[in-house]
Amino acid sequence: MRALDLDFMLGLVPILLGYLPLTLFMAGVGMVCALILGCVLAMERVARIPVLDQVVVLFISFFRGTPLLVQLFLFYYGLPQVMPFLTGMTGVQAAIIGLTLHFSAYMAESIRAAIIGVDRSQWEAAEAVGMTRGQMMGRIILPQAARVAAPTLVNYFIDMIKSTSLAFTLGVTEMMGATQKEAASSFLYFEAFIVVAIIYWAIVEALSFVQRRIEVSLNRAFTR
Amino acid sequence: MLKALSVAAAVMTSVAALATPALSETLRVGMSGGYFPFTFTRNDTLQGFEVDFMNEIGARTDMDVEFVTMSFSGLIGALESDRIDTVANQITITPEREAKFLLTQPYVYDGAQVVTRQGNEGEVTGPESLKGKSVAVNLGSNYEQLLRELPYADEIDIRTYESNIEQDTALGRVDAFVMDRVSSAQVIAESPLPLVLAGEPFSEIQNALPFRQSDAELRDKVDAAITAMKEDGTLAAISEKWLKADVTQPLAE
Repeated sequence: MRALDLDFMLGLVPILLGYLPLTLFMAGVGMVCALILGCVLAMERVARIPVLDQVVVLFISFFRGTPLLVQLFLFYYGLPQVMPFLTGMTGVQAAIIGLTLHFSAYMAESIRAAIIGVDRSQWEAAEAVGMTRGQMMGRIILPQAARVAAPTLVNYFIDMIKSTSLAFTLGVTEMMGATQKEAASSFLYFEAFIVVAIIYWAIVEALSFVQRRIEVSLNRAFTR
Repeated sequence: MLKALSVAAAVMTSVAALATPALSETLRVGMSGGYFPFTFTRNDTLQGFEVDFMNEIGARTDMDVEFVTMSFSGLIGALESDRIDTVANQITITPEREAKFLLTQPYVYDGAQVVTRQGNEGEVTGPESLKGKSVAVNLGSNYEQLLRELPYADEIDIRTYESNIEQDTALGRVDAFVMDRVSSAQVIAESPLPLVLAGEPFSEIQNALPFRQSDAELRDKVDAAITAMKEDGTLAAISEKWLKADVTQPLAE
């Protein structure tokens, strides 16, 4: 066991933190888009619109059934070969699209389960007071489903933050890409990768803290 | 701030209008950013032989050089798909590349080199000794091709990597790696990894900048700058700075 180069490790922290905004940007945009798409897919799965339902089932099946890395390579390196207009797509855009589609498929399933999980009596009560379908969803069903789905959705967000590290395979210099480059020029691989691991870990721990706070506030209405 | 920006923009456009329309204002240069000492990143700064070389070309041809880093194996594809205009990453002249691209004159003369870890010199003594051994090369590099063209290639366990071939050789996961001689010598001199050169360089190689077939004018402009840099000693100085040797002249016949 050789001595660790602590100076190098300490010097690396501010460099890598400089790439944190890009990592959070990709994960943040990906999360918002995936949530919207996931909700749309989930509501469709509950409503079961003919033909569209088969398309959505196929979509979810594909994006849950193939590795994210394969999907990223397919968008960034594969598709531009058959659709030349996609050549202008940047690595960051490809990463965000990939993360959005991949995680929306997972989210759709957990949101759907949460919607179905809302007690039958709630639907009937909403109907009885004369609510439209939109009002029923917006005011009664989704708020209750959100409470059930929230922990899972935050978990997906955590997973998404970590998955942005795959963007470096598309030539995007984000935290992992920057680490890899610094490691290759200094040959201090252990130091470089342990520093980046600790940074990711710290971000996820901070998020877990927020997650607990969200759960407490969402449950407040149900505690007596 | 905004006002200053708009004034600056106005000045820029008027200057641009006065100047003869350039072929391309910006030269997008692709490189891996992870190939010491030619293109590497230290303290978040992209640097190395290729970086100085391209900046000098930009200054002489009056173009803004924009460096684009990506994995080595993706560089040629990026050049073909117009994501970059050239590749400065020790691109070796091969018949295939000559057929596909417009190349400049060579700016680095080098050789292929086998490198192994310290203590393994008895086992690995050069290319002939690689029979029955595992050898790391960079994916898409001409060294991969060189190995596959050896008459006994099917007896070598050739493993392709995106990066970190030096590390895997130092750890003993592979018996040797093959890359250019100049970089190998620098890695051994500068890194803490326990590596040694195995035998003499085999197969002479020459590096040039590739351009798309449609960019003949751009290639000629850059080529003229390389000629000038060779003549006034600038290129040799860049070589000395990064490689402690002048590798920009043809090897003695």
